Amino acid sequence: MKILKLEKSDLDKWLAEWMKSSPVYAPVQSGFGSFYDWARLEQGRMPELLPGVPKSSIKTFLFPQPETLEEFSADPADPSAFILKAPKTAEQLTIIAGVRPCDARSVSLNALPYAKDPYYSNRLRNTALVGFTCETQCSTCFCTRTGGLPTGTEGLDIAITRMDNTFLAEILTQKGELLAEAGRTGTDAGGDALSRLEQSRKNSGSPVSSADDPAPILREKDLMALYQAPFWQEIAEPCLNCGACTFLCPTCYCFDIQDEVIRDRGRRIRYWDSCMFPLFTLHASGHNPRGLKLQRVRNRFMHKLKYFPERFGPISCVGCGRCIRECPVNIDIREVYTDLLAI
Amino acid sequence: MNNEPSAMNETKWDPKIIAFLCTWCSYAGADLAGVSRFQYPPNIRIVKVPCSGRISANLILDALKSGADGVLVSGCHPGDCHYISGNYYARRRFALLKNFLEFVGIEPGRVNFSWVSASEGEQFAGLVSEVTETVRALGPATRLVKKID
Amino acid sequence: MSDTNSTITLEIRARAGELLASGEVKAFLGFAEGSIPMATRPFIARTPEQAEKLVWNSFCVINPAGFLPEVLKSVEPSRGPKDPPPEGPLPRVGVVATGCWSRNMVVQMKENQVSRDRLVILGIGSRGMVSNKKVQAMVGGRDITAIEEGEHSLTVHCDGEKTEIHRWDVIRDNCRTCTHPDPVIFDYQIGDSAGERHIEDRYVQVDKIEAMSAAQRWQWFQNEISKCIRCYACRNACPLCYCPTCFVDDSRPQWVGKSTDPVDTSIFHILRAYHCAGRCTDCGACESVCPMGIRLRILTKKLEKDVLEMYGSEAGLDLEAPLPLATYTMNDPQQFIIKG
Repeated sequence: MKILKLEKSDLDKWLAEWMKSSPVYAPVQSGFGSFYDWARLEQGRMPELLPGVPKSSIKTFLFPQPETLEEFSADPADPSAFILKAPKTAEQLTIIAGVRPCDARSVSLNALPYAKDPYYSNRLRNTALVGFTCETQCSTCFCTRTGGLPTGTEGLDIAITRMDNTFLAEILTQKGELLAEAGRTGTDAGGDALSRLEQSRKNSGSPVSSADDPAPILREKDLMALYQAPFWQEIAEPCLNCGACTFLCPTCYCFDIQDEVIRDRGRRIRYWDSCMFPLFTLHASGHNPRGLKLQRVRNRFMHKLKYFPERFGPISCVGCGRCIRECPVNIDIREVYTDLLAI
Repeated sequence: MNNEPSAMNETKWDPKIIAFLCTWCSYAGADLAGVSRFQYPPNIRIVKVPCSGRISANLILDALKSGADGVLVSGCHPGDCHYISGNYYARRRFALLKNFLEFVGIEPGRVNFSWVSASEGEQFAGLVSEVTETVRALGPATRLVKKID
Repeated sequence: MSDTNSTITLEIRARAGELLASGEVKAFLGFAEGSIPMATRPFIARTPEQAEKLVWNSFCVINPAGFLPEVLKSVEPSRGPKDPPPEGPLPRVGVVATGCWSRNMVVQMKENQVSRDRLVILGIGSRGMVSNKKVQAMVGGRDITAIEEGEHSLTVHCDGEKTEIHRWDVIRDNCRTCTHPDPVIFDYQIGDSAGERHIEDRYVQVDKIEAMSAAQRWQWFQNEISKCIRCYACRNACPLCYCPTCFVDDSRPQWVGKSTDPVDTSIFHILRAYHCAGRCTDCGACESVCPMGIRLRILTKKLEKDVLEMYGSEAGLDLEAPLPLATYTMNDPQQFIIKG
């Protein structure tokens, strides 16, 4: 692995160079309440990195809302009416800069259930993730309790770490190498750069190992004991059953599919769905296996913390804290962790 | 949102207006206009409803979403409702809706309300001409028209 | 916690504890401390001991009226759909209520969602609630680790620094322009009355939009809702939204598409606000819970203004008067009607 040393001006040059050939997105601040979210960068508009994560998760890019799966003509005079055609997709690289390690990790976690999904795989292939490791942890951050690290590099193509007034860029993948070349600046940081990086991380006091990963413990727990635990009622009671948590969550990946026809055009779209909505499980017969709020709330947490690890290994949560930050009624997933682990 | 309808060019465009008419008064008024051979523009598409009190905001917005350039809602004159008070309730709802649609930026004149009785064939023809001209002057609807690109 | 708030907290706990202990109520709906700064959690105490968890502070932004139908149902003896109703009065529920919340309860009573004799209302004169988004903006969007509430100020802890903020500077817009901070119905008064307030610029946010051209207003509306992720937090936090099937979930006809298409999102917001016309008390829950910071209240406030101007009615002030859209007069304004 190559490590490059960059000045602030080199970083700006990288972004400016990338913008010439690819759309580049990064977090910026704007509007009411210092709204901090992703925006497409233009020449002169640079990312403004705050501690913590932007409002929406990175899934907005890899699992867009909505995604057009098929297109068709609905014109009765058209001989090919209602014959589905794949939409034209440009094989263009999209660069997402300023990605935090938790968001980057969510990309690899979602790739597990989506391993055979052509749409997700396609977007993943055409997206480069340039990350910034975290120097501070926010009050709602808990990545170390999910198997992640504030300095983690999983899922990233380039990971940038600030060292005093310069930056060290770890070039992690082939895509990363191409990007570093396209940036046309930066010097080799020398052979001892990696050890210096690790030393500085140790010195900064940020955790170096994810000792609290609950996945192995939760995998071993008896499913029915967790399912029938007494605390679900209390957790679910204040819930509004809105979809704020699931729509902001980077690892919630459920969707629904619908055909939309407007006048003579039609499309088959895939859009975000949420297990918090009663419609999520409503059968055509009118029966709803998760008709109660308690059942829906329980499913959200059981899916993330029990069903997903049983099937794929890690838990489906990266500790970004968005659901804690934005939940209107302050349902805190960290408390659910504690409750589940205590069983 | 500058999504001008692609298939329509300015010279060929002619407004399409959805008219929700109550079956007792306004629809009968339209009928009378036809029987009496009063000329009015052929731009309206009539949807007959039992009462103007039946018209909800959902129906009006759905017409706009589906590409109507204008909407006309008409019922019995106050006092004439065949269900006694349907149009009185509707009047409150329409007043709020009209103001509210204009508040979010829908052009005044896109959504129109009127009272036409069964004997007002001539007035109906005049109303349709007036509404058609208003909508024509506004041009093709773009706001709230759903598009699939 | 400020003096006023700690006094109110203690009074709520004592009263709720008594009501639960005596069996006068089977559950008490209030707020508990949240796990992060500027958060509270709607909380249902079912025992006198649990009543000790109840708190009152400037971050009680959720409208408890929205939970009432569900909580009332939860205390009823369980029965099948065809079983006859139990004999005798059904158990009661206690709840805290400020001006706007109590007005929502009045609306719920008129719409037969809750019944007055099943509620024991602890009325609180509201000093206004704080907008966490405004506080966030005051510290430039940085992570807030703690907040201390003084009587008229907030001390925000951020990056090891303390910032002192005047409470009124970060009060929610709806509380700033509130004219009825005192509850209109209650069984026990908690704390002091807040008194009626006269607000000169009650509709200032609406007036600003009305002064624009149609094209500018459309631009403003599109810009505001462009952030919407269709999570429906606004709808679900609203005590007026209780339809068994919401219009957004209808599929034949489908009034609103499911994704974040700008037209679908526009129609959702127009219809959501419009459904609240004449019923909305401007409690601000929709705007407070919006994770994307959309200023939803401006839409409902416009309708509130029109209802007041045209029909002289304000939601939930009078238990006897019918809701403005469930009644009419012969000479309601009709300048908008085109004469054929």
